[in-house]
Amino acid sequence: MRKWLVAVLVSIVVVFALGQKVTIIANAIKGGKNTQVVDWFEKYIPEIEKDLGIKVELIQTGIKDEDFKARIVLDIKGGGGADILWIDGFWVPEFVEAGYLRPIDDILAEIPAWKYYYDSMKAMGSYKGKTYLVPASTDVRMIYYNKELFKKAGIPVPWQPKSWEDIIKTARIIKEKLPGVIPIQLNAGTEMGEATTMQGFFMVLLGAGGNLYDWQLGKWIIKSSALRDTLNFYKQIYVDEKLGDAALQMSPGAREKTFELFRQEKIEMYVEGTWFYTSVLNPNNPSWGLPDRDERIGWAAMPGRGKPQDPEFVSISGGTGFAVNVNCKNPKLVAEVLKRLLYVEPQLSYFQMKPFVSPRSDLADSCWTVNKDKFIAETSRALVKYTTFRPAFPVYPEISFQAQLLTERVITGQMSVDKAIEEFAKEVTKIVGKENVIEKP
Amino acid sequence: MKRSLMGRKVIVFFLIPALSLIFVFLILPGVWVLKIGMTNETLTGAKARNPDFVGFENYAKVLSDRFFYNALRITLLFVLGSAIIGQAGLGLSLALLTYRRRRLKSFIQSVVILAWIIPEVVVAYLWIAFLDKDYGTLNMLLSAIGLRKINWFYEHPLLTIIVFNVWRGTAYSMLLFSAALETIPPSYLETAEVIGASSWRKFKDVILPNIRSYILTDLILITLWTFNVFTPYLLTGGGPSFRTELLSIYIYRTAFRYFKLGYGASIATVALLVNFALAMFYLSLSRRKRT
Repeated sequence: MRKWLVAVLVSIVVVFALGQKVTIIANAIKGGKNTQVVDWFEKYIPEIEKDLGIKVELIQTGIKDEDFKARIVLDIKGGGGADILWIDGFWVPEFVEAGYLRPIDDILAEIPAWKYYYDSMKAMGSYKGKTYLVPASTDVRMIYYNKELFKKAGIPVPWQPKSWEDIIKTARIIKEKLPGVIPIQLNAGTEMGEATTMQGFFMVLLGAGGNLYDWQLGKWIIKSSALRDTLNFYKQIYVDEKLGDAALQMSPGAREKTFELFRQEKIEMYVEGTWFYTSVLNPNNPSWGLPDRDERIGWAAMPGRGKPQDPEFVSISGGTGFAVNVNCKNPKLVAEVLKRLLYVEPQLSYFQMKPFVSPRSDLADSCWTVNKDKFIAETSRALVKYTTFRPAFPVYPEISFQAQLLTERVITGQMSVDKAIEEFAKEVTKIVGKENVIEKP
Repeated sequence: MKRSLMGRKVIVFFLIPALSLIFVFLILPGVWVLKIGMTNETLTGAKARNPDFVGFENYAKVLSDRFFYNALRITLLFVLGSAIIGQAGLGLSLALLTYRRRRLKSFIQSVVILAWIIPEVVVAYLWIAFLDKDYGTLNMLLSAIGLRKINWFYEHPLLTIIVFNVWRGTAYSMLLFSAALETIPPSYLETAEVIGASSWRKFKDVILPNIRSYILTDLILITLWTFNVFTPYLLTGGGPSFRTELLSIYIYRTAFRYFKLGYGASIATVALLVNFALAMFYLSLSRRKRT
């Protein structure tokens, strides 16, 4: 009995001593959400394991971004979690404030590729003077459309709206000529979470010259004519003319449902990010991919409202990247793994599987010259000059929720536009305090 | 004084395992929730690391929170509709219907219990498949007979989860009432029959007085269970637009989607008090009966 116990204990100790392990968590799952990310890891992990003589484990989760965030937060708060966290860049400030991330400036010193990252991307991953995130990719936002359906409805392609009115006019034609097809998907409501704020709300608000945050004054904007027009645009689409499906926005799993409807050619126009084209619709995605995506799907820049002082086109960018868990036991090994993942060769391979707007100059050059990915090259060239970033302060998620609620209240008809803005102003003031808000004409 | 079966020491000894379990898994977390509920602790941001003690501030906020009142209202409607009227009402009807009819009873009991024992996630998928707007069985049937397809989860969300929960939970009440009916001495009903009492009079004057305490037991249990149930989340996620956001779902959303742990804990405490009040109400009813 005793011998047996000793044998077990010894083998446990041996396994712990020899089997050094680095774990990585990403919101990706084979055959589902971000399936390309899993394929990529499966291609490179064995090499890294052999090279370093350790075990590298990828934890797959294909769930809603909000649920993914909750999982990571609870993992870390509980004293555990994966070593390398592939997370959304705008979570960095609130995670850092909570003490969940390890500053990685020392790790980055070991990574030769770091010098190629653009400053704006470095800024996305840093907070209060320290770096916490290596950006993996960034993106831009636009309107996707189904060319075949446009042709059926007699709308000439390529199509490029110049104002909100152009979008409405096109949507009306679709509604009339193609019954059963939802003319436009502009994300709204709390069910869609951050996808509502980024893909929907911000894309409209920016077009009216508005924003959630005044960068010069450092205050949150609670009322403005741009905000009012934004909500009226939502109202026109979802309530007045029923050019979008309000019920769909509120249903559980709404985002995945809209992907499915777009794949089935039951949605014509869809405002989304780079990811939508390169991952969701990617022919190699078994869930929502379109085999003839390149021929069937077109894109247009999102126009401004159309008044003389408004921006011509708008876009907003986010991005994901690698952060390191504060509970990480072996930063040296993590540095070695990260270094190898960020070599040019795996990065180019990742690009081929799931093209992205590159956060670093060496890749950007080789992407555009070596790979000639038409979509990335064209969207980057057209939209990067218009793009902007979120005010990703620790308090941002709460404001973002209020913005989602704002769209929800308007498209369900629960509140008038003015009433909804009143509520929004009240709640945001409560969250950040009277001294940190401003009303604009 | 009655002589007990075992000595005091033996009783204490046998109670220790149960009490320690209750202490570790019920009392301790309860106190913990009370404690967190008095802080502004969050799961991310600076307050995750250094939460402040805010006393009863959270509770004041709960009482002026429109989402809280929305959730409370929906929960009470849900309890009334699905537990009291639905499960208890239907359970009693089924028990009466199958009283003394062996074959019918075993058939109906099997069907109803089946709905009760299937795992929750499976049940949720079954119901989504049944009620889906485009592909759901129900809408297929409706359109086959020429009726309009109905988006159940959007147009009648509360009704949907109430019907769902009645379907899901009637078995318990039915079993309890069936057993209760068996305790009525047959001679009572036979006598009533001989003197020519109507069905209603038999129910009102013979059956009801005999099973009253069972009804109260059933109501107290299913009310508390239903009040804290979370399964509808799997069907509607609390939506559309918070129209099925039960108190339990609101607590979950506050604490684990918006990461306001302290505030979520304070809502949970208020929910606990409401539960307590409901339990007290039923207990007072049963006490009044005895005197």
